[in-house]
Amino acid sequence: MKWINGLITLSFLIFVSSGMAGDIKGKVKVRAARNSGNVVIYIDKVEGKVFEPAKGHSVMDQKNLEFVPHVFPVVVGTTVDFLNSDEVLHNVFSPDCPDGKFNLGTWAKGIMKSFTFNKPGISTILCNVHPEMEAYIVAVKTPYFAVSDKAGNYIIKNVPAGNYTLKVWHEKRKAKPREVAVAATGETAVDFELKR
Amino acid sequence: MKKLFLVLFTAATMGVLLWEVQSVQAFPVFARKYKTSCSTCHYAFPKLNAFGKAFKNNGFRYPAGTDEEMRKEEPVSLGSEAYKKVFPDAIWPTDIPGTPPLAFRAIGRFLKFDKNTEDGKSSFEMPHELALLFAGTFDDHISYHGEIEFEHAAEIGYDFKVQYDFSPAAHLAFGTVGLNHMMAEDLRLTANHYNIVNLRNQSGTWRIRSGAAGGIELWGAGNGPGGRGGFTYAAGVGNGQRDGENYDKNKSKDFYGRVTYKIGGLGEIGGTEGQGSSTSAFYIDNSFRIGGFAYSGTAVAYAGDDDFSVIGGDIDWWFNRLNVVAAAMQMKSTYAGFERKSFTYFSEANYVLYPWLIAYARYEFTDKNTDDNIDAQTTILPAIVAMVRANVKCSLEYKIPLDSAGKNTGGLIFQVDFGL
Repeated sequence: MKWINGLITLSFLIFVSSGMAGDIKGKVKVRAARNSGNVVIYIDKVEGKVFEPAKGHSVMDQKNLEFVPHVFPVVVGTTVDFLNSDEVLHNVFSPDCPDGKFNLGTWAKGIMKSFTFNKPGISTILCNVHPEMEAYIVAVKTPYFAVSDKAGNYIIKNVPAGNYTLKVWHEKRKAKPREVAVAATGETAVDFELKR
Repeated sequence: MKKLFLVLFTAATMGVLLWEVQSVQAFPVFARKYKTSCSTCHYAFPKLNAFGKAFKNNGFRYPAGTDEEMRKEEPVSLGSEAYKKVFPDAIWPTDIPGTPPLAFRAIGRFLKFDKNTEDGKSSFEMPHELALLFAGTFDDHISYHGEIEFEHAAEIGYDFKVQYDFSPAAHLAFGTVGLNHMMAEDLRLTANHYNIVNLRNQSGTWRIRSGAAGGIELWGAGNGPGGRGGFTYAAGVGNGQRDGENYDKNKSKDFYGRVTYKIGGLGEIGGTEGQGSSTSAFYIDNSFRIGGFAYSGTAVAYAGDDDFSVIGGDIDWWFNRLNVVAAAMQMKSTYAGFERKSFTYFSEANYVLYPWLIAYARYEFTDKNTDDNIDAQTTILPAIVAMVRANVKCSLEYKIPLDSAGKNTGGLIFQVDFGL
């Protein structure tokens, strides 16, 4: 079976690298919110394909009593290093991580502690020393995702041509998934409106 | 030279206008300034946690010179930084908060007495207190805090202190000073005051709660080895007893001092060196602090001067969810030809059941005259404290006198306390 998976992956890579891929671009509107940023737009899955996380670790910073970034999409299997950049102690814990609750303790400035997100889903990230701090790690099965800017703009680049389900996630608002047909070249426009 | 000039100028121009008032150490102003929760600094307000003490010891600033980057509220400049180069041919530049550094505190109580009093068997004392709090910093070296307090219908108190912060190890404060600002009294979770701050001299003209009134205080703090624990010190002189105009009522000044040393836990002036831990919470700071204090003063009374002094010590032990505080004090008071010695102590335990729910118990012992045969006053005070929100605290306590003379003087207090 391994050689079949390998063949599929190889075909996929050839497919993408040969230019048979397009971009999904659009705008999200978050109703009753200060802005339309921090919406994660992502392709839920690509049939028959399992994606590996990017090599190396990703970093979520704790700087000036804030998690940076506030919303952090990663591919399932990604290890995230939590860095403390403040001259105060910080903690990282998650009460709802799909991999199970965790608490990494506290650590000093310049030091990182790591956690690997092996299951898809949303992990709320909190600091039990500073209750106002929160962030979200969104573990998804594909590398085809984007986070909207404050104006709601987003772009997912190099998506292989095909039919997909495009989903969105926001910490307070929701929208229904959209079916999207990505052309071999060019852009496919998909907009969302998120409501309560 | 410029710094010295500024210090002298500050000392000469800052007013010291003070009335006896219960000092408050909870300032929602800072929650707004840094956009952070009350629990960043408070175990349960007004009781400070380890970081809150470090913040205070830095002159109400974030540790290690990081205050400017931690501040979320943009100040209004009253002169650009470059004007420091022009001094003394220009006013030294500074800044003020972008929004007024004001906050409010309100306290309401329901009281149920063990015995009928003039007010009856129970009472809704609402409001018990309304207070306007202010606190903040000017540029890198000046900080201030104070309050205007309305308690009951006719009592108004006010309190103000400004200090020049040379460094965390040296602050020179002008304003309302005294031991009460640095002891557990300021940090208590209960409506009932501690016995040691309520013990009066023979003439009844002074107690620790009275403070030293207007005066000057040099104080500071530093971290211990490895950035953990450390020391604090304070030495001050004040009017002591004062009249309605806030002038000294007698020729002599009151003097006081306090020293503490903390072993383990967060450094007294903060920082993160050596502070990693597998567990953490804003209410945890495994450490042991020991301290000593002394006060000497003179008060004018009906039968002449009352020369009094106190000396005492205290401990503050934190272990995971448990915090134990104890203090003992001896008072001497010479008045109308009589010398009286008093001895008093208390011990209390705080246990965090949940981050918002604290079980509390206190034992108090007060022997007003150690040379007579009258029984000492002893009391136990169980309580439960609930932080229903980060800025709203409810507490239920029951004072139970154990000595025969104190029988029927106990009672229950339910208190709601919130800051905005």
